Amino acid sequence: MTRLSGGLIDRDRTIAFTFDGRAYRGHPGDTLASALLANGVRLVGRSFKYHRPRGIFAAGSEEPNALVELRDGARREPNTRATMAELFDGLTATSQNHVGPLNFDLLAVNDLLSPFFAAGFYYKTFMWPRAFWEKLYEPAIRRAAGLGRLAEAADPDAYDKGFLHCDLLVIGAGAAGLAAALTAGRAGARVVLADEDFRLGGRLLAESDLLDDAPAVDWVAAAEAELRAMPNVRVLARTTVFGVFDHGVYGAVERVADHLPDPGQGVRQTLWRITARRAVLAAGATERHIPFANNDRPGVMLAGAMRAYANRWAAAPGTGGPVTVFTNGDDGHRTALDLAARGVPVAAVIDTRADAVAQGDYRLIAGGMVSDSKGRLGLTSVEVTANGRREWINCAALGVSGGWNPNVHLASHHRGRPVWDAGSNAFLPGAGGPVGLVPAGACVGQGSTAQALADGARKAAETLADLGIAAGQPDLPKAEDRSTAAAAFWHVPGRKRAWVDHQNDVTVKDIALSHQENMRSVEHLKRWTTLGMATDQGKTSNVTALAVMAELTGKGIAETGTTIYRPPYTGVSLGVLGGGDSGAHFRPRRLTPTHHWAAAQSAVFVEVGQWMRAQYFPQPGETHWRQSVDREALAVRAGVGLCDVTTLGKIDVQGADAGEFLNRIYANMIATLKVGMTRYGLMLREDGTAYDDGTCARLAEDHFIVTTTTANAGPVFRNMEFARQCLWPELDVQLISTTDAWAQIAVAGPKSRALLDRIVDGFDLSNAAFPFMACASLTVCGGLRARLFRISFSGELAYEIAVPARYGHALMARLMEAGADLGVTPYGTETLAVLRIEKGHAAGAELNGQTTATMLGLGRMVSARKDSIGAVMSRRAGLAEDRRRLVGLVPVDPAQKVVAGAHLFTEGAAQDTANDHGWVTSACFSPHLGHSIGLGFLEDGDQRLGEVIVAANPVEGQSVRLRVASAHFVDPEGGRQRD
Amino acid sequence: MTDLTAICALGATEPRRETFGALTLAERPDTALLSVALRRGAAQPAPLGLALPGPGAWAVGEGLAAFWTGPGQWMVEVPGKADTDVVATFLPNLPGCSLTEQTDGWTLFEFSAKSGATVGRLLERLVNLDTASLAPGRATRTAVEHMGVFVIRRAEAELAVWGTRSAAESLWHALSTTARRMETSGWAQQ
Repeated sequence: MTRLSGGLIDRDRTIAFTFDGRAYRGHPGDTLASALLANGVRLVGRSFKYHRPRGIFAAGSEEPNALVELRDGARREPNTRATMAELFDGLTATSQNHVGPLNFDLLAVNDLLSPFFAAGFYYKTFMWPRAFWEKLYEPAIRRAAGLGRLAEAADPDAYDKGFLHCDLLVIGAGAAGLAAALTAGRAGARVVLADEDFRLGGRLLAESDLLDDAPAVDWVAAAEAELRAMPNVRVLARTTVFGVFDHGVYGAVERVADHLPDPGQGVRQTLWRITARRAVLAAGATERHIPFANNDRPGVMLAGAMRAYANRWAAAPGTGGPVTVFTNGDDGHRTALDLAARGVPVAAVIDTRADAVAQGDYRLIAGGMVSDSKGRLGLTSVEVTANGRREWINCAALGVSGGWNPNVHLASHHRGRPVWDAGSNAFLPGAGGPVGLVPAGACVGQGSTAQALADGARKAAETLADLGIAAGQPDLPKAEDRSTAAAAFWHVPGRKRAWVDHQNDVTVKDIALSHQENMRSVEHLKRWTTLGMATDQGKTSNVTALAVMAELTGKGIAETGTTIYRPPYTGVSLGVLGGGDSGAHFRPRRLTPTHHWAAAQSAVFVEVGQWMRAQYFPQPGETHWRQSVDREALAVRAGVGLCDVTTLGKIDVQGADAGEFLNRIYANMIATLKVGMTRYGLMLREDGTAYDDGTCARLAEDHFIVTTTTANAGPVFRNMEFARQCLWPELDVQLISTTDAWAQIAVAGPKSRALLDRIVDGFDLSNAAFPFMACASLTVCGGLRARLFRISFSGELAYEIAVPARYGHALMARLMEAGADLGVTPYGTETLAVLRIEKGHAAGAELNGQTTATMLGLGRMVSARKDSIGAVMSRRAGLAEDRRRLVGLVPVDPAQKVVAGAHLFTEGAAQDTANDHGWVTSACFSPHLGHSIGLGFLEDGDQRLGEVIVAANPVEGQSVRLRVASAHFVDPEGGRQRD
Repeated sequence: MTDLTAICALGATEPRRETFGALTLAERPDTALLSVALRRGAAQPAPLGLALPGPGAWAVGEGLAAFWTGPGQWMVEVPGKADTDVVATFLPNLPGCSLTEQTDGWTLFEFSAKSGATVGRLLERLVNLDTASLAPGRATRTAVEHMGVFVIRRAEAELAVWGTRSAAESLWHALSTTARRMETSGWAQQ
C-alpha cells in the first residue's frame, strides 16, 4: 500500500474492487484512480496507436490515459476515466486496448513500427483499392487502434430528464463557484450550482492551503451547508454541464447512480436542461504538461494531480518511491512541498527557470529540464539536462507542471474564440461566446485562491445587477494569493518522441511532420494528427500543440490561433441524451377508440404517423395478408364492412363568417353548401400545389365540420389557425380540433343502410330523406348523441358514423353484432386502400406535394368565382401547363403486377429522363377485377385511354406493359353511392 | 340512456389508479370538457357566476372550473358530466360563444401528493416550465414527452394533466414512469 495519512477518505469503511481481475481495497471518497495509486498500481492501460504502457496522468475529467472499461456484462462502459469513477463496493474495472495481458501487450509491436505510423499514416496508406475500405482496412484499424469494447447488449439502466429554471447557473463549485453561489443565494436569486465532482470544493479539496487559518474543507463544508439550506438554491453534485445551447439553455448530466453498485429500479443518469437567465462559468483550469522524450511512462503525472492525490486521497503517486518534479513556474514547487510534508521523498525539483529558488528543503536544479526517462512498465529514472550536463535521477514518479490552461471550453460553444493572453501564457475566454455566460476565477486567469474567491463573488454580483437583483459581497476568507504564472517553456527539444496528446498518441514529431506536409492551419493540424480528437477534446494537449506549431511557423501563439470546442465538453452517454424510453415507448403512439376491440379480433396493426391502425383482420385459415384483404374488400362490395376512420382529422369551425373563411381555405366553393349537407373539398398550398382533401359538413348556418387526411390533421389545423389569426383576423371564426373527441366508423357497402337502420333511434335513412352527401346530428343505440355523414371512399353506398370516443369500442361491437346476418366484416387500412384505388380516389400517394388539382382531374374544383389560398398561383404557367393526368393502369398480361413507383414510358422509347412520361402512384391487387391495378400520373393521360405503355422499374430490372384506363375501375357513373 | 357501455381512455371500464409512495396518479373519466371561444363583439360571459380566468390561470366555481387557453378562449371543466351533452347544457349560460364538446378529445389524469415539494419535483421532470410559475391556480399548455397537454396546478399538492385521449396509454406511461422513479429515488415521500 502507498496510502499516506490524512486525506478526505473514510478510513472507517473499506470498499472491495477489482482491476483486471485482481482484488484491491479502497475507501469511500476514493476514485478508482486514487484507489489504484494507493494500491501501488501504476500501469493502467495501453495507448491508442502504439500500445505504449500508460498510467494515471491527471486527477479529473481531463485524464487522457487512465481510460478503463467499468463494470461488466450489459453495463460494461468503455473509455471511462478512472479519475472520474467514484469507488463503490464491488466495482469491476478492466484495462483497455491490449492483446494479451496488460503488461505484455502483443500489439506493442506497433511501437517498434512507429516510424510507419506517423501523422497522416492512415490517410496516406489505406487509400487503394477502394473496395478494401470497409471490408479490410476499417476492421483492421478498428481492432488495432480502438479503445474500449462496447457491451453489445441492451443497456439495462433507466435514464430520465428534467428541466430547471434559474436566475443564475453557477458551473463549478470550486473557490470561484462557491463564492458566486453564496453571493447570489444570499441575494435571494434562484441559483443552480453544478459540479462534476461528487464533493464540492474543486481545487480547494486538493490543496493544503488554509482558508482563514483553518483547513479549506471547513469553509467548503460551511458554504455547502448554507447553500443546501437555502430554498432558492439547488446544489447538483456529480453533475457535468457539458454544453451551452441557444437561448440560455445549458445541458447537464447528473450521474445519479453511477456511484452505486446497481441503480436497481432507480435512474442511472439524468439529463437536465437548465434555462438560466445568466450563468457564471467557474470551470477552473487544467494543468498542462511539458513534452520531453518518453514522457508517457506510467508514473509521469501532472504535478497538480500529484498534490490532489496526496492531499485529498492520501495516495502516494510513486508507490512510495522518490518523486521528482519538473516545472516552469512556482506551482511545481507547491507539489514538492506538499509531498515532502506528507512524507513522500522528493528526489529533485527541476525548474526550467535559471533564477528559480528552492522554497523548501529539497534539491533544486534550476535552469534544467527533463530530457528522457526509463522504465518499461513504469518510470524508474529521468534524465535531467542542466547547464550542459546530463544526469539520471532515480524516481518512481515525476510531476510535470507547465502552467495552467483556463477551461474555456463552454465559453467557446457559440463560436466564442479564446484570446491569447501573453501575460499569463494562456488562452482566456474571448468575446462572442454564449450571451449571459460570465467566466470567473481560474477559467479567466484569476487562479490563486484569493483571486478566485473575489472574482466569483464580484462576477455574480455584477451579473445579478444586470437582472435587477442587488447582491452584497460576502465576507470572503483569507486565502493564499501566490502567482500562478509560468514561464513560456513549451517542450524539451530532442530527437526522440515526446508526447503532446497522450490519448491520441500525438508527439511533437507528428506536429513537425504535419507542418512539413503543409498542414499549417490549426484546423488542419488537428485533423492530420488527430490531436485533441474524440473524448479528449485536447484538454491536456491543445495549447501545448499550438505552442509547438507556433514555434515551427515562427509565428506567435496568438497568430497561430486555436481550434474551438463543441458540446459535449466531456463524454455524454447516448442513453441519457435519449433521456427516456427505448422499445415500445420510444415515442408516443395514438390508439383509435376501437383499438382494443381490434386487438381482440387479432387485427394486425400498422403505424400511420403516431397512430396504430388496424391493417387487416386475419381469419382462421388465412396464411397470407392478401387472403384477408381480398376477403375484406369483396365483403364490402357484396355486403357491408366496418372500418375505424377516427384518425382522419376533424376540425370544428364555427362563427358568423365560417362559410366565408372556408371559401378562402378550400379551392372549391363551400359557402353555398346547404345545412345538412357535406361537400368534398380540396385545399391548395400557397404555391398552388394540391395540399389536402377531405369533406366539409355543414351542421348549421354557422357551424361546419372539416375533415382532413390522417397525415395532415395537425398541419391543416395549424394552417387554418394561422389564417384565422394572421391573414383574416377580421372574420368571425372559431376553430378547434375534435379528431380525438369522436370515434368515427365507416359503414360501407350495399347493406350499410340496412345495418345502420338497426341502431339509429327512429332516424329516416331513406335515400329521399338522407341522400348522398347528407349529414345530421342524431341519436343511436337508445339515446347516444351521434353524427352521421353519407360519404363514400369506396364507391359503395356508405356512411360514416361518429359517437363520443368512449363509446367507439361499444358501437363497433354493436354494429358487428347487429350486422351478423348481413355478413358485416371489419376491414383495415389495406382494404381501405384497395377500395379507394378501385374507385380512383386520390390519397397520400397522389397528394404528394408535387401534384396539382388539374393533374388529379380536379382542375374545375379550383373555383374562378372566388379567391382562395393557392388559387392564383395554381394558374401560373409552370403549373397550369403540366400535362400529366391521373389515369388507371391495368397490366396487359393479367398475371403481371403494377408496381408503385415505376416510371412510365411510351413503348419502344428510351427509358431515360427525357422520355419519362410519369409514374405509378398506387397499386394493388383488385379482388373485384381479379388482377393487379394501379393509379398513376401520365403525360396527356386523359388523351391516351387504351394505349399500351411501359412501366419501368430499373432498380429491379422490371418492365411491364400496361394499358391506360379510366381511374374509376368500379362504378364509374357513381350510381352505387348515390342510390 | 344508451345501452352501450363506455370505456375509459386507458381501455378499461373502470378508471386506473396507481400509488407511488405519497404520490397518487388517477384517471378521471367523469369530468366533461367544453371549449368556449368568444365570437366577435360578444361580451365575456360568466357561466354559473364563474369569472372566466385570464392568461395562464385556472378558476373554480360551483360545479365547474375553467382555464384560459388563448385570447377569448377557455376550457370549462364540469366534474361528473362527462356523459352528457355539455354543449346543450351550457349554451344558455355562454351566450355569444362558440362551444365545442371536448370531453373525449382529452383525458384527465390527476396527481395528488402530501406536499407541494413533491409536485414541484414531479413538474421539473415532466415539463419544461419554471416550476415556480406553476403555482396553485395556474394552468398552461405545454408538452410532456412530446405529447401536447394542459397542466393545471389545482392546489399545492394537486396537479392535473389533460392529454390527448388517443395518446392516453403513452401519457400514462410517461407520468407513471416518472412517478415510479421518484418513488424509487425516495423523492415521493411527502
